[in-house]
Amino acid sequence: MATRAFQRLPTAPAGRILALRLVAIAVSLCIIAGVLALSGHSPAMLAELILRSTLGSRFGLEDLMLFMCPLLLTGAAVTVCGTIGLWNIGAEGQFYAGAIAATGVALGLHGPVLVVLPLMTIAGILGGMAWITVPTLARAYAGVNEIITTLLLNFIASLLTYYLTTGPWRDRISGAQVSTQRLSVSMPEMWGIVHWGFPVAIMIVVGLALVLSRTRWGYEIRMGGANPEAARYAGIPVRLRIISVMLLSGGLAGLAGMFEVAGTVHRLQGGMANNFGYLGIVVAVLARGSCLNVIPAALLMALILDSGIVMQTQQLSASVILAITGLILFMIAIGDELAHYRPVATTPAKGKA
Amino acid sequence: MIMLLTGMLATAVLAGGVLALAALGEVLAERVGVTNLGVEGLMALGAVTAVMTVSSVHSPWVGLLVAIMVGAVGGMVFAFGAVVMRANQVLCGLATTFMGLGLSTALGHSYAGQPVETTFGHVSIPLLSSLPIIGPALFGQNILIIPIYVLLPLAVHFIMFRTRHGLNMRAVGENPAAADAAGIPVMAMRFWYVTLGGAMAGMAGGYLTLTYVPVWSEGMVAGRGWIALALVIFAGYRPVIVTLSALLFGLVTALSFVGQAHNWPIDPAFLNMLPYIGTMAFIIVPVVVWHRMRRVMAAPAALAQPYYRDVR
Repeated sequence: MATRAFQRLPTAPAGRILALRLVAIAVSLCIIAGVLALSGHSPAMLAELILRSTLGSRFGLEDLMLFMCPLLLTGAAVTVCGTIGLWNIGAEGQFYAGAIAATGVALGLHGPVLVVLPLMTIAGILGGMAWITVPTLARAYAGVNEIITTLLLNFIASLLTYYLTTGPWRDRISGAQVSTQRLSVSMPEMWGIVHWGFPVAIMIVVGLALVLSRTRWGYEIRMGGANPEAARYAGIPVRLRIISVMLLSGGLAGLAGMFEVAGTVHRLQGGMANNFGYLGIVVAVLARGSCLNVIPAALLMALILDSGIVMQTQQLSASVILAITGLILFMIAIGDELAHYRPVATTPAKGKA
Repeated sequence: MIMLLTGMLATAVLAGGVLALAALGEVLAERVGVTNLGVEGLMALGAVTAVMTVSSVHSPWVGLLVAIMVGAVGGMVFAFGAVVMRANQVLCGLATTFMGLGLSTALGHSYAGQPVETTFGHVSIPLLSSLPIIGPALFGQNILIIPIYVLLPLAVHFIMFRTRHGLNMRAVGENPAAADAAGIPVMAMRFWYVTLGGAMAGMAGGYLTLTYVPVWSEGMVAGRGWIALALVIFAGYRPVIVTLSALLFGLVTALSFVGQAHNWPIDPAFLNMLPYIGTMAFIIVPVVVWHRMRRVMAAPAALAQPYYRDVR
């Protein structure tokens, strides 16, 4: 207690954060390798196999981009909400809502692709927005904690999907379980199995970064997040900004669901959200509130998911990926906090505790 | 009608016990100023380790003990990040939930779907269990009901509001700097109460698989940890009220069972949504109807804020 060798800075320098995050990931990988070695797998062989079948093959790269597409959007959804200081933990539910709405349009409308696809997109966005409406209003007008309300709606959305895919919309043609029939409309493909949703998602993320950093609206959002009292004093309608940001966030997650239905899975399936909503939180944390950083963060997360597929072929349960993600998130949270500390070269403090 | 009420109350008490334990543990953590969003994951870990234990050691008590210990260790891991390292509590909590859910599924892979043979059996307390309606529910189920609904909440209430230690504990959650100046060990208080809260979440998981749903399956905790978190807010961080609201919540769950048993013309999927919709209503409606609620049931002032002694 006599010497204070470290000083805490209010904001951490970016370089130190990056360095500590690399350390955090390295520490996580060491722990994972240790656990794998203890349970009788060879970490080195597994690592080589993962690298070879993700980054080293055409199929691996295509899978990587398919994983990135929803992660970009859910990551952006959590990031924009975080800009005004709120947590949208319900991207998973909004993803389902968007997927359901888009599927509804595709099943109900029979027309040319050029008409149906845009309508599905709009329906997906509106579905996601509708799903976040109640938490939004509760937050804006009654100050109800949005973490819990958005999260609870995930379970309701997942049950609704289950109901639709086993009940009114069940597959009557091929009899697939917990699934609708294959939709007649699909997103055009761009490169192998990668559909056009991928470049669109990248463009949306870049566009959002511009809007948040260059427009008056974006400035007001950032100010509302940094200091709500000052923002209110400066005449910014914080309540309206909260509503618009949360709806935008829900819409982005809904769009992710629509892309997944129309581009990747081609049907509504139970469990199709594949934790993309929750992983979006991890992407947003990695991105540290910057929309542009969402792109590399989504890439890293997609790489982890992609290696999950490889691990499944090696008799490792797919859920291991969730645990690994949790571990990395935990280590990064600690690393980010440690980045605030600066070693101070002082002689022992005199008289001051 | 009496039969229906008796059955419903029995289910409600059984189902509410899971939430009562987890929520009471979370009250302890939040009263010292730490939000533990890892409850869901710790419950899953407790549930799966209880099943694994009783499959080799045929004693429900040992299973429950292991679940408690696993929950405590998980709570310590969370507390290491959120209290000792002072990292963001929301992130550490989510990470704990991810780790808990992922690990429990991986661990329980070979136990999934098998019925648990060793569970807490039926105990009927003479005389009391023959009381109408409440008798079978409270005194005719398992031995854990009375500790969960009566002993634990009253003990926590007494310690929290009637002892000096409880005053210190609440001071840490309201104003850690003042508590620190008064010589209260802020970090130790936070660390150990978060650990205790984790132990209770683990116990809730063990209770889930050893009494209420005696089978392990992936995703069986099904958001109960998050519902428990919502109940803590609803009950204004008060131990006795949180237990009563868990019981009220058990009734909502029982309602969906009764609906399925009596073939109500509603799809089971919608009946299964009831607990989640109910929770949403629980935390939104009171605040909308009664505006003062937010002040009366306010959160501890330093909730979710890490404490730095040397930053002012």
